[in-house]
Amino acid sequence: MLFFRSEELINEWCRSRGVAPRPIVHMDQLWQLAVTWYSTRLEAESRRPAPNEMRSIFEGIGLAGDFWDPTADMFG
Amino acid sequence: MSLDLTHAADFDTSVKLALYGITAESGRIPALDAVVERVAGTTDTVKEAYLRLRARRLLWLEADSITVRMAPPFSGVPTQHRVMVDGIEYYANCAWDAFGILAALHRPGLVRSRCEQSLAPLELYVGSHGPEPSP
Repeated sequence: MLFFRSEELINEWCRSRGVAPRPIVHMDQLWQLAVTWYSTRLEAESRRPAPNEMRSIFEGIGLAGDFWDPTADMFG
Repeated sequence: MSLDLTHAADFDTSVKLALYGITAESGRIPALDAVVERVAGTTDTVKEAYLRLRARRLLWLEADSITVRMAPPFSGVPTQHRVMVDGIEYYANCAWDAFGILAALHRPGLVRSRCEQSLAPLELYVGSHGPEPSP
């Protein structure tokens, strides 16, 4: 996942590489993802969310669609 | 058998906490011997724990199976995504992980990265409730 200053710059980046635009994650969504994924990472009981939990997390912050299907993609 | 599995799971947790703890303290993912020392284990037992943690997708190892490339959200190699917290610099694997380091440490900090198209530097102050407005 990369940072961009604007959607226009995302589109420029995609055009220059001949790749289709992928979903945009806004800063507030990114922070929610980070907190959900990592806030317990330094604790003994932490674990990666299971695929069904990942779906709920993504949907809960407005990230839906095939791109966010954890059975189709690799997540950190 | 269940006793052995319990012990292995406990040891894996100790290894994970040692690895993450040293990383949080220093900003760098430690070499194997530092983790061995922290958990008072042996090279072989920690290597075995690394493999089990990799299988659980909690660590990404280099081909040598002893060098940790990623302990998400931390990166074992320098990247464009740097995070400053309390005077310590961390490397993140991606934008998500840059915020993830702050979430994991439960500390405010500064994310230094770049716009991938313009290559203009980005500095994002992140407080306890998330990123603050930036120019």
